[in-house]
Amino acid sequence: MLALFVVFALFAPIITPYDALEQNIDGLLIPPSWMANGSISYLFGTDALGRDLFTRIIYGCRVTLGSAFITVVLAMLVGVSLGAFAGMLRGVRSSVANHLLDALMAIPTLLIAIIIVAILGTGLVNSMWAITLALIPQFVHHTRSFVRGEMKKEYIIASKLDGASKWQLFVHSILPNMTEMLVVQGTLALSIAVIDISALGFLNLGAQSPLPELGVILADGLDVTYLAPWNVAVPGMAVFFMVLSINIVGDGLRSALRKRVSY
Amino acid sequence: MTQILVRYCTLLILTLLVLTIISFSLAYLFPGDVLENLTGLVPQNDIQRAALEKQFKLDQSYVHQFVYYVSNLLTGEWGYSFTSGLPLREEVGIAMPATIELATYAMLMALFIGIPLGYYAGIRCYSTSDYAINSASITIYSFPVFWFALLLILIFSLQLDVAPLSGRISLLYHIEPVSGFILIDILLADTENKSLALKDALSHLALPTFAIGAIATASMARMARRSVIDVKHRPYIAAAISRGLSSWQIFFRHILRNALLPILPLMAIQITTLITNAMIVETLFSWPGIGNWLIQAIYQRDYPALRIGMMAVSTVVITLTILVDLFNRVIDPSREKYERAAV
Amino acid sequence: MSHGLVKRLSLCLCSALLVASCAKQNKQAFYNTGIIYCSESNPVTFNPQLDTSSTTSDASSHQLYDRLLDFDPESGRIVPSLASSWLVSDDGLTYAFQLRKDVWFHTTKYFTPSRNFNADDVIFSIDRWRLTSHPYHYISGGRYPYFESIGLAQNIAAVERINGYRVEITLKRRDSSFLANLATDFAVILSEEYATQLSQAGTPSKIDELPIGTGPFKFESYRKDHFIKYRRHDNYWRSSLSTAEDDTAPPDNNRESEVRVDDQNQAFGNNTPNDGEQTTVEQLIFDITPRSSLRLAKLMTGECDATAFPAQTELEVIRAKDDLILAEKPGLNIGFWAFNTQRPPFDNPDVRRALAAAIDKNTLLEAVYFDSAIRAKTLLPAASWAFQNDADDTAYNPVLARKLLADAGIETGFSMTIWAMPVERAYNPNATKMAELIQRYLRDVGVEATIVSYDWTTFRRHLREGLHDSVLIGWSADNGDPDNFYRPLLSCGAIPSGTNRAMWCNQDYDRLINDALETDDIEARKAIYRQVNRLLYERLPLVPIAHAYRYQAYRTELEGIKINPFGGVRFGGVKKAL
Repeated sequence: MLALFVVFALFAPIITPYDALEQNIDGLLIPPSWMANGSISYLFGTDALGRDLFTRIIYGCRVTLGSAFITVVLAMLVGVSLGAFAGMLRGVRSSVANHLLDALMAIPTLLIAIIIVAILGTGLVNSMWAITLALIPQFVHHTRSFVRGEMKKEYIIASKLDGASKWQLFVHSILPNMTEMLVVQGTLALSIAVIDISALGFLNLGAQSPLPELGVILADGLDVTYLAPWNVAVPGMAVFFMVLSINIVGDGLRSALRKRVSY
Repeated sequence: MTQILVRYCTLLILTLLVLTIISFSLAYLFPGDVLENLTGLVPQNDIQRAALEKQFKLDQSYVHQFVYYVSNLLTGEWGYSFTSGLPLREEVGIAMPATIELATYAMLMALFIGIPLGYYAGIRCYSTSDYAINSASITIYSFPVFWFALLLILIFSLQLDVAPLSGRISLLYHIEPVSGFILIDILLADTENKSLALKDALSHLALPTFAIGAIATASMARMARRSVIDVKHRPYIAAAISRGLSSWQIFFRHILRNALLPILPLMAIQITTLITNAMIVETLFSWPGIGNWLIQAIYQRDYPALRIGMMAVSTVVITLTILVDLFNRVIDPSREKYERAAV
Repeated sequence: MSHGLVKRLSLCLCSALLVASCAKQNKQAFYNTGIIYCSESNPVTFNPQLDTSSTTSDASSHQLYDRLLDFDPESGRIVPSLASSWLVSDDGLTYAFQLRKDVWFHTTKYFTPSRNFNADDVIFSIDRWRLTSHPYHYISGGRYPYFESIGLAQNIAAVERINGYRVEITLKRRDSSFLANLATDFAVILSEEYATQLSQAGTPSKIDELPIGTGPFKFESYRKDHFIKYRRHDNYWRSSLSTAEDDTAPPDNNRESEVRVDDQNQAFGNNTPNDGEQTTVEQLIFDITPRSSLRLAKLMTGECDATAFPAQTELEVIRAKDDLILAEKPGLNIGFWAFNTQRPPFDNPDVRRALAAAIDKNTLLEAVYFDSAIRAKTLLPAASWAFQNDADDTAYNPVLARKLLADAGIETGFSMTIWAMPVERAYNPNATKMAELIQRYLRDVGVEATIVSYDWTTFRRHLREGLHDSVLIGWSADNGDPDNFYRPLLSCGAIPSGTNRAMWCNQDYDRLINDALETDDIEARKAIYRQVNRLLYERLPLVPIAHAYRYQAYRTELEGIKINPFGGVRFGGVKKAL
């Protein structure tokens, strides 16, 4: 199912029958095709401006999933390098930095997003910054404890004795072992990022209408909830299934990993 | 012990200091006038402006300004809101308890439902009931909270008409805020309609608590299950089995406590998620809490409010997090600092 | 023993049932004591003299205050209120008002009146906005947009006290809309005694924050973005009117009521069932709910008894519900698209005409108003007596638009801003959506439009500063007089007061609308307004879009609620029975 979403995201322009912003003034609020007076040419119906909901959802998946993915990759890059650095550090400086980081990790994403929006204004890119910022500490934390743990193991000590520098140590010895942890953390972060991006869109703090972002589509649909409930139901479903599929994949990865570690 | 306390106190103070620095610099980072952002007062003319600048030491170095800012924070002079013109301390004082109340009930729900469920699933791991609980929890866990809350509103408020959808209590009641917790306030207030008011407040609480609580419960259950499974694979359990202890004995003597320990630090992370979710759900249920207040503030670009709101929320969250960590250290000194179980 | 147990048990059960049913009754009784109205936004102030937005006047003018005169919501005629009768001199310049006695101001935590309403209060209330030298003029900003926009202050020569209950107002020029202006939501009567107390205490600005009036409800508390609470005014003059005086006209009425008698009686007849009885409603609460879908949801769950501005999309839903009532009336309003005529290239009428020709008004009507509005050709809706049926109208013609733009030297890719107001109004229920549609139309003729929106207060401030290229906004009239559309919307004097969104100033236009006030002859005035319409069509400072119906949704429990086409909602005399 995740693959389906990825396909949606990658090939949105090919799959979709219409343009995401195209308004069809003769067809406002057409019900989805499975309802009595729906039309097959609009699979999920249309919204209050006559835009094809199916198209918007597909583009929405693209925007939401895509930006979430970029966010996670960014956060991962920054987080891992910081975390590795922190993990290799010793002494008071590291302890202070670590403690502070842990405490700051507790600041809710929404709060960071609000502050960033206040400084830079609303927009998808700004909300992505906010979420990146909020995700970084997690990666730092996990990388640091991982590096810490690894540093104590024999093979590291062995290569240390071989005279490897810290950088070599990290790139050649620790990083390869870390990929699994990163993948698991990455999927976890991805599901959080998807929820957060759509939540910010929904709250009108992130992506702005008419950009087809799932949260924004949902918020737009809210105005016509009673008249056209599918405008709320479908985008919500899309976010839900997207997150669900990411979580299931993540869960699967994690238990596979655990099994390998324990046996 | 004292050492640990001192350590955590320093940590707390240090973090709060960093937060204060951030919130102070926000006055400069936000668009608009620094003086207005810092005080929430809009000077009507140049004379007033000069006087205010002098008062807030804006004519002196950043360090002086900052020191003055901190002393103001400590004495409760938090500035004024742009939009309402009210002292921010008063506004936060009303909004903050509302959020904490909501989050507390949701947390209790997660603790009393999520953990037992997780234990049950963990003990019966890889059975049908485990699968059922596990898939239910992953499903609920995947719900975007804003949509979940919307669904609840659509079903329970609009279709079934069993619960109201906005606010803490019907506006017809006059409840003097004493503690800020609506249920306690009702008990303290002397109105003749106490039981009515209580019932009304409970029905207002039901849906938002459930919306936040369900998601927290799901992740709690997942953590508990994971933790129990981990503990079950430990050698001492095998030893206990070989000693011939019954499964109940094993559960009560070994699993119960040992599985709980790794969950506790996770609760610290949960607090953050919980507060974030509470903030989102508040806007949907028009709950007069800090999240709703902050989001209104950002819509209206009320910079002083944002600055203080950010300060207040993160202070609460961080204090709670550190307390949980401290608690965890105290009851289980053997653990390495900050070691946390996986979700 | 088992018998005893059963007995006791059944007793218990009975009493429990009793308590339960009692509780239910209590609950109903309790909920009947208050009306909750879901309003759409925060009032700017509690003094409608200071603000023209309907949010402010809804929250204040008919709840907290009374005016000298009122409009009858049914017929639109001017009927007595605090002035029991009045007399107009033959030259049309002097108006003498006889004031009602035994009218009490609110007694609240912050003010206890020692005397009842009299001429001093009238003089204070009018002089406050009229005289820049008045000590209260500059309190709360010193702007009185409604009166500024119609230039009333300049036209009043004197306001004099004849005796304690008689006031005489002298005008400089004849003004056939003068009485109508005194009956608008903005011409409220404040308490002079309260003002004196406040200035002695050194806190004059409280007069607009902690209001005192003579209206059916008194102010209790206000929390921005949350609620406004009011309590019943127990000494409200209209409630004692029905029991004590009923049909007795004030004694000195006969002398001077050549204009009045019939209106007077009719007014009383109208008031008695409506506002007369002491209501069971003790509290009135405005639950501030900006989102219209949420307002409807609250109405459906009964958390609100009535709501402001149901969205056009929701009308069908309301009609389909048995326990909801949707009242509708053609509104006296206009939604339009105004260009900032002080900014090039919008100072060029051809550019404005081109942009007007680029949009299809019928589509906007369908998509935004869902056919609950009438296409507007001029500023005036059909409900006004000066409505011109055969007025010229712009037509959808993108080819012409492109040509006009090219002639005016506007290149493809020209970018402009469309400001979309952030609140819903009857005249424009969804400005953002309309802006998105216009954006698309403009793209067809090679103009790139960006949509701008702020929160309502900032939005209006920036508009007054003229930061916009064009704006989607509108106007709800305060009375049925055509001058109430033409003057505030486009006259030169209305630019500083911030109701002239096109920032348009045209001497011919101002001369014409002034001429129209000089005469009482309806046909002559109509002829002048025809010329005005022609001028507006040629210059096109704004594109009229729609006249919307006015809707109000409420639960069946409420009785006696009426849509007032001439202004804000009123809850005086409304009853509630679950």
